[in-house]
Amino acid sequence: MRRIFMIAGHEAECWLTHDGSRFVLNMPDGAVPCQLVPAGAPGAYVLRTGGRAHELRLAVGPESTFIHLNGRTFEVGRVDPDDRLGGREGTAGGDRLLAPMPGVVVSVAVKPGDAVTEGQPLLVIESMKLETTLTAPRDGVVAEMPFTAGDSFGLKAVLAQLTPQEE
Amino acid sequence: MRRIESHIDTNAADYKANFAAMSERLKEFHARQHAARFERPQRDIDRLARQNKLGVRERLKLLLDPGTPFLEFSTLAACREYDGAVPGAAVVTGIGIVQGREVAIHANDASVKGGAWYPHTVKKIVRLLDVALENHLPVVHICDSAGGFLPLQHGVFPDRYLGGRVFRNQVKLSQANIPQIAIVGGHCTAGGAYVPTLSDYNIIIEGTGAIFLGGPPLVKAATGEEVGVQELGGAVMHTSVSGTGDYRAATEQHAFALAREIVSQWKRMPKTIIETAAFEDPYYDPKELYGIIPKDRKTQFDMREVLARIVDGSRFHEYQPDYGTTMVCGFAHIWGFKVGILANNGVLFNDSSLKAAHFMQLCNQNRTPLVFFQNITGYMVGREYEERGIAKDGAKMLMAQGGSVVPKFTVIANASYGAGNYGMCGRAWDARTLFMWPQAEIGVMGADQAANTMADVKIRQLEREGKQLTEVEIAAIRDPVLEKFRRDVEAYTSTSELWDDGILDPADTRNALGMSISAALNAPIDDPHYGIFRL
Repeated sequence: MRRIFMIAGHEAECWLTHDGSRFVLNMPDGAVPCQLVPAGAPGAYVLRTGGRAHELRLAVGPESTFIHLNGRTFEVGRVDPDDRLGGREGTAGGDRLLAPMPGVVVSVAVKPGDAVTEGQPLLVIESMKLETTLTAPRDGVVAEMPFTAGDSFGLKAVLAQLTPQEE
Repeated sequence: MRRIESHIDTNAADYKANFAAMSERLKEFHARQHAARFERPQRDIDRLARQNKLGVRERLKLLLDPGTPFLEFSTLAACREYDGAVPGAAVVTGIGIVQGREVAIHANDASVKGGAWYPHTVKKIVRLLDVALENHLPVVHICDSAGGFLPLQHGVFPDRYLGGRVFRNQVKLSQANIPQIAIVGGHCTAGGAYVPTLSDYNIIIEGTGAIFLGGPPLVKAATGEEVGVQELGGAVMHTSVSGTGDYRAATEQHAFALAREIVSQWKRMPKTIIETAAFEDPYYDPKELYGIIPKDRKTQFDMREVLARIVDGSRFHEYQPDYGTTMVCGFAHIWGFKVGILANNGVLFNDSSLKAAHFMQLCNQNRTPLVFFQNITGYMVGREYEERGIAKDGAKMLMAQGGSVVPKFTVIANASYGAGNYGMCGRAWDARTLFMWPQAEIGVMGADQAANTMADVKIRQLEREGKQLTEVEIAAIRDPVLEKFRRDVEAYTSTSELWDDGILDPADTRNALGMSISAALNAPIDDPHYGIFRL
């Protein structure tokens, strides 16, 4: 798989190889032999490719590299293929919040009818010496909160119900 | 490797309250650490000056390469023993750099009770020599001890891991081709005489250093012979007559210059090679840990937020992210060293135990050291879980953990309760180093649970005798137990008893782990092999 870069807002795929004497930049539309030679001053290089020499300057940051070439500056950022291809977020959360283990309700933060956003605390439970805050699996409206503080519940009991999402 | 995306809001009220609570704890911790290292009664400082001796901290400065880190172990050992009068258990131990080599250091602190060996002193020295054995680290002994503390001789001398173990470990080190040097900067009497004599090299400082099996008073009592310290066991006699000493040094400075030169003669053994990457600082500020660790021990938090402030570039490759989610497993780098991390995000269930066991086998197979971050209140209890075989799955996790051949490192980040402590590589499971955070707690069960259990037993016993207890009487039984347990589970009790290698400021954890991993690579890693897994 080629590396994915974000160059000045455009996604580009490429892969650098070495043929024994020089570097070759492989891109979807072909391969280009090239050579990057330091030019003395800090960050200054000469890029030789296609029989021409281009003077450029590089500034390497933690997130991206900036290239100053022919009076323009290009920002080159690396894209994690796992992020790009897999997506960071999972599928949208369901309507119900199920008890991950048996326990006791410590406090309830919302009531039916309340609008909630994903990650907002709905209730706090205690089990095995540990207080756990359970949060909304998605944005939505609370339909039901079956337990109040002090109630005990079993494994996989429904602790909160959101109104079903309309397509 | 992907960067962990933090969801922490540093402006949130919770974060700020946690940050303030941890800062307060750390202020106390750093003050106690400073006192244990540097604060001594004036008469003890005067006595050292009168004897023309340097303090142990000055000696370390002369020994170590300038500007290099010193990983000190158990600074607050014995802080809850002997009325607090034996800071650091009268000995300094740690891993430092001498002439570019990682060495284990054992240095008596003569400003505390003349460097006498208390029970906790012996425990601390034996632990240091175990560290040297496990990690194949050369040892530098700086000897200056009044000998065993006689009123507590039963706690110093006879048992398997007491005094004799110091010398036994020295023999085992030598057998394993791990060099040792002793600098004698005070008296080495009786058993203490074996520390320099079992070392490959030793240096005696003229005037202050001496080695003898029995000191002048004992000789006079035993045989009536009257003899002075220098004639009996001084630097000149031992280096020119008996051959017990190798080098004599004119001054302390001379002794440490000689010691450094001797260390630089030692053959440098090649380190074990593991996967490494270019060093990268964490993307998120480690100081943010103060706001992430809840001020109430019972409040749950996401260990990924902790890992993001420990590992290189805050990058983490999570293994089985959607299975057994109370157990976070994955790969990361610390100081460039590839490690496999196991961190608790809740109680251990069947699936989380199996995931942990499988992940540890993966790490052993590809020789990746393991780092454990404990926040564990136990394995899940109840009928449902027993039927699913929670004890059997916990046993699999123990078999994989205890049978691991790769170096293991443990940080008790918050809770360390019950069998969860075992599964997550508690003290008994040979972590190369084990550190605790100052708010962390350790015990067979929580203080409340223990107090209630013990009160219940007592109440039922009295009921059988026909007595009915009032609420006040029940409280009178429960409250003292609760108070004692609350103190017993504190990190200061653990570190006082040397159940850990020291309390850490959470922000220092990354460096402590980096040094520990680097030191561990001095020893080879065996081929993986296990006992029988109950499937």
